[in-house]
Amino acid sequence: MERVQLSARQLFMLAILFEHGSAIVIPLGVDAKQDVWLAILCGMALGSLLFLVYYRLFTYYPTVPFTSYSQQIVGTFFGKGIALVYVLYFLYIAARVLRDFGELLLTFAYPETPLFVLNAVMMLTIMYAAYKGIEVLARAGELFFAFLYLIAVLGFVLVIVVGVIDIHRLQPVLEEGWKRVFKVVFTQTLYVPFGEMIVFTMLFPYVNERKKVKIAGWLAIWLSGINLALTMAMNIAVIGADAVSRSTFPLLNTIQEIRIANFLERLDVLFMIALVIGGFFKISVFFYAGVIGAADLFQIKEHQRLIYPLGLAVLLLSIAIANNFAEHIKEGLNIVTIYMHIPLQVVIPVLLLIIAAIRNRHM
Amino acid sequence: MTIKRWCLFLVVLLIHITILSGCWSKNELTDLAFVIAVGLDKTEDGKYVETFQVVNPGNVAGATQRGGGSGGIPVTLYTATGDNLVEASRKGSKKISRLVYYAHTNLVVIGEELAKEGIMDVFDAIERNPQFRTTATVVVARKQTAEELLSVLTPIDKIPASQIIKTLQMTEKIWGENLDVHAGEIIEALSLTGKEVVMSSFRLEGNKNTGKQQKNVQSIEPYAKLHADELAVFKKGKLIGWISGEDARGVLWVLNKIRQTALSVDWEQKKEAVVYKVMRAKTKVIAQMNKGTPVISVFIEAEGDVGETLVPFDLTNPTQIAKLEEKIEKEIQKEVQKAIQRVQQEKSDIFGFGEVIHRSYPDEWKQMKKTWNERYFPRLQVKVKVDAFVRRTGLRNKSYLK
Amino acid sequence: MLFQWKVSKRKNTINEQSGQAQTVPSGEIDNRLDANIETIRRTTGNSTDVVIRRFMLGKEKNIQAAIIFLSGIVDESMIYQFLLESVVQIDFPSSCLPNEALLYVEQKIAAAGKMRRMKQWNHLFLSLMSGETLLFVDGVSEALSIDTKGGEHRAIEEPSTQLAIRGPREGFTESLGTNIAMIRRRIKNPNLWVEAITIGEVTQTNVSLMYIKGIANDEIVEEVRTRLRRIHIDAILESGYIEQLIEDQTFTTFPTIYHTERPDIVAANLLEGRIAILVEGTPFVLVAPAVFIQFFQAVEDYYARFDIATALRLLRVLIFFLSLIAPALYIALTTFHQEMIPTQLVIAIAAQRESVPFPAFVEALMMEVTFEILREAGVRLPRAIGQAVSIVGALVIGQAAVEAGIVSSTMVIIVSITAIASFATPSFAIAISARLIRFLLMFLATLFGLYGIMIGVIFMTLHLCSLRSFGVPYMSPLAPLIPTNIGDTLFRFPIWALKERPRLINETNMIRQGKQQRPMPPNESKKEGDDH
Repeated sequence: MERVQLSARQLFMLAILFEHGSAIVIPLGVDAKQDVWLAILCGMALGSLLFLVYYRLFTYYPTVPFTSYSQQIVGTFFGKGIALVYVLYFLYIAARVLRDFGELLLTFAYPETPLFVLNAVMMLTIMYAAYKGIEVLARAGELFFAFLYLIAVLGFVLVIVVGVIDIHRLQPVLEEGWKRVFKVVFTQTLYVPFGEMIVFTMLFPYVNERKKVKIAGWLAIWLSGINLALTMAMNIAVIGADAVSRSTFPLLNTIQEIRIANFLERLDVLFMIALVIGGFFKISVFFYAGVIGAADLFQIKEHQRLIYPLGLAVLLLSIAIANNFAEHIKEGLNIVTIYMHIPLQVVIPVLLLIIAAIRNRHM
Repeated sequence: MTIKRWCLFLVVLLIHITILSGCWSKNELTDLAFVIAVGLDKTEDGKYVETFQVVNPGNVAGATQRGGGSGGIPVTLYTATGDNLVEASRKGSKKISRLVYYAHTNLVVIGEELAKEGIMDVFDAIERNPQFRTTATVVVARKQTAEELLSVLTPIDKIPASQIIKTLQMTEKIWGENLDVHAGEIIEALSLTGKEVVMSSFRLEGNKNTGKQQKNVQSIEPYAKLHADELAVFKKGKLIGWISGEDARGVLWVLNKIRQTALSVDWEQKKEAVVYKVMRAKTKVIAQMNKGTPVISVFIEAEGDVGETLVPFDLTNPTQIAKLEEKIEKEIQKEVQKAIQRVQQEKSDIFGFGEVIHRSYPDEWKQMKKTWNERYFPRLQVKVKVDAFVRRTGLRNKSYLK
Repeated sequence: MLFQWKVSKRKNTINEQSGQAQTVPSGEIDNRLDANIETIRRTTGNSTDVVIRRFMLGKEKNIQAAIIFLSGIVDESMIYQFLLESVVQIDFPSSCLPNEALLYVEQKIAAAGKMRRMKQWNHLFLSLMSGETLLFVDGVSEALSIDTKGGEHRAIEEPSTQLAIRGPREGFTESLGTNIAMIRRRIKNPNLWVEAITIGEVTQTNVSLMYIKGIANDEIVEEVRTRLRRIHIDAILESGYIEQLIEDQTFTTFPTIYHTERPDIVAANLLEGRIAILVEGTPFVLVAPAVFIQFFQAVEDYYARFDIATALRLLRVLIFFLSLIAPALYIALTTFHQEMIPTQLVIAIAAQRESVPFPAFVEALMMEVTFEILREAGVRLPRAIGQAVSIVGALVIGQAAVEAGIVSSTMVIIVSITAIASFATPSFAIAISARLIRFLLMFLATLFGLYGIMIGVIFMTLHLCSLRSFGVPYMSPLAPLIPTNIGDTLFRFPIWALKERPRLINETNMIRQGKQQRPMPPNESKKEGDDH
């Protein structure tokens, strides 16, 4: 572990950037059509319960990351197994998000550029960030948080001013009842982005104000949940539920609707900023967690040593992961959710918590 | 890893990236042909004809910039034929020396024949292409092909496509018989069952051959002129009818698209004696269910001034004004009702009444959905309520007529 | 952990004499006057500015004595009018031994200030070279060093960098004493401590460390002290030498130590708990630790009212980024993202580029380099010729290049905006680093368009966030965010709202002002009463 400290505020901002990450640009949970904002809010509510599980685990073992206390809870052998699985999971998700990011960028602005090059450039930046450590990443997060919020508010105000919002497009609410909403919640929005907060169990030990971890995490989940719901609602109110569900980037279509005085138009750059910054922080947090997890697991003192090999692995994995975008998305929705998100975000943490609670009864 | 090795690694990677990157997605401005308008037609054997109006940048910016402006024409027209739009577009490269670039295409013109055959297939390519903006305006070429409509030089706005777009926007705002419809709205209407497509048409009149030449813009009265024409009504993506004049304006009233317009009412036996200038208007459409049958209520609110009186009229008298307001309300109501009846004859719900019902009564809508245009819409009961306000009377409060 | 810099692992076996040109005679002085004078002559190589004046002391004028000084760096009128005269006029006892004579001189002369007895040659030479006058008496193996520093110095003038419309007009000079005095005059407090260090084996440059005891963080003071002591180099000719030898991070384009020519800025920084390093022979005073935002704080921000100051500061940060990315943005938008430019504009730009034979990157690079050449030429040249250069530059770039169709006029506009923006940044040190990064960003923009720019900006931000200046995070108080200090960053809150000193620099004694400093004009009713 690095000997650095994060404040609760930095944790909060990092979590916000992480949650928004790619979620704000991709068509998140659009199977719920015009009720997607409800699906996101429900995902958020359940997500904060999941976060409570992660937080309770942290309160039992406040000085070590997840990969260490898993060994304390179920013994060295199984614990190491679990830790290894999680390290691989974090790195795999880093590769997945990197692939997402590259694909989005490619479709949107760089049709002729090889995916590998776009991903390599991004990965290089992320490796630099991981090399500099979590403290630097958190500080950069504070700066970009402010910047991104400024951009978001600007975009939001512009969309409202232009008058392309038609609230009626959000109707009828619950056209097909709660069933459709919950289906989306339990297959998508709970895990991405809210369940992904599991990765922060690797970062909690760095936080110097332990009491504030819970509230910082919750605030981050709530704020990003509300923001995401608002953004998706805005997308629907501007371009319609049908177009949103067919679009690769609903937010881009919404931003393209902004036209003021024949000059303030074509503001795709706002979208691009959100995409790159969000992607950067999301992948960075996953990658960093993977790296320090591996360093912790294999008792390597300087995590910097692992950055080069693991970075390269993530980069290559992001290319090798799927043949085309459709396959990639399909994998993400079906295989990853069932075989990775559900066991690793929900089942194992809950089991660990139960065992930890039994073991620490006397406390 | 020591810092030295790290630096070395960075340098090596950067060099690789630099060498490997042949600047793939890079295009210099001088390598692009900015397509400002696209015209779409269909040949008799079912192929698409795509017409590109390409900007000639050197000639647009005018004489201020050195190198251009010396009498050249601002746009050039190319056509290409293909089985589908992508093919036609790529084939266009045979004739154009630069990369055909659609990001600044602000106008899509659809030939009348193609419109009649159906525009369903056209918009997929437009929506899918990341270059293409869904904010592009779409119009139908009335009584001619899109190619014909686009082959004209225009005097005030040098680029004919801009002339069409600006004319459309301005007349929608000032007069309100034409509609500036974006590709995105059309796609939305095509995807919804409770809403059909409606858009404006444009027509080129006059000597079309001379219209293609520089002579056209050197004459005080151009040989060929563009003007906005009737509204085209579509059903399931196929052009089925035209709506013109006051009916067209009635459609815009319902669609909440009227910003300003002018309408005249009779006063003391004199026909069309007082002209009312609408300065602000707002329309709300609400659906209700009355014993299982849907009822649509249209609420219109208009504010405006008196623009012209052809009879002696004391506008200082509030009771007179109230009377006038009443007459105006009736006039608007009549116009809107007539328009709705006219559209109901076409059996195509361009107002989106179906969507309004869908939003308020999703369950009932499921039953009506399939036969909406055929069974329900033509017999739909529509109530129109108008509130008109005369706010000001211009610079005079009484007419000089006695 | 506040201090995290890496200590160099290399163990330096520092030779005390490292960098010395030639050895100064060691040991103590002789008791024969002639021998001593000979030694001095030999050591200084008979330099012509060494003045040796022999005379006789005592009631009977029987004791040989000599004063030795360097003309030019001493106050000669003081030596001749007061020192020499009073030495000769001292009422010596009749049978005065040479030993007692020296004692007498030391006790009786009131005309000079500091006076020291010394024996060691190296001390004597150091005093002599710094402008003191040495008094030798025959038969005594001790000499008297009398402080007669003086000589010609540049007078106090208005600083030539960091001009202000409102604010004090004086700037530092090359004289260390004057500089210290200028700061002293602003902070009349015994807690303003000055420490002297001599650095430079050959130049023996006097360097002073200045801080306010009780406000400055002792740890940081100690750290500055150790870093200064670690310097073993032959010469310190300007404070830039010291800056480069003590900064935290060499491989960065960003300055981590602030330098200024204005005593009011130094005083303000001392009051914030920072430490000033004054170097003899240069008007530029170093201030440490420095943070990023400090380079955007112009001195007038604090003299003008807060709303104006805030607006100007926001403008400055904005133009810093403008000067950073404007050309890169031009390249990215015109070669990658033509769809993001409004139609009218893109056609206008395309029309201009129609006849330009170069790719946008080459065009931009060419113009930027030309501008840098012009700037560099203008800076070094005498003022009169400098104007000629700018006229030629304006004609060549602005007019001819466009007319010849080598560059587009949009590019000229972009370059001009960039240039003006880089001049509008209050600190030259940060403006020049922006220039370097600008070229990097242009390169990235050529490769990857906007994506490249954003990757570059992310890299830059990560780098900035990883910098520290004497343990203080460079981006503080923005990152890590310190809400109480945010009032003096991108904004400048009213003076009465700036209650605390920067937190990461100070740890104790943070409150700057009393509780209710907000101006409270008498309320309305009272005012009416006053009117009567």
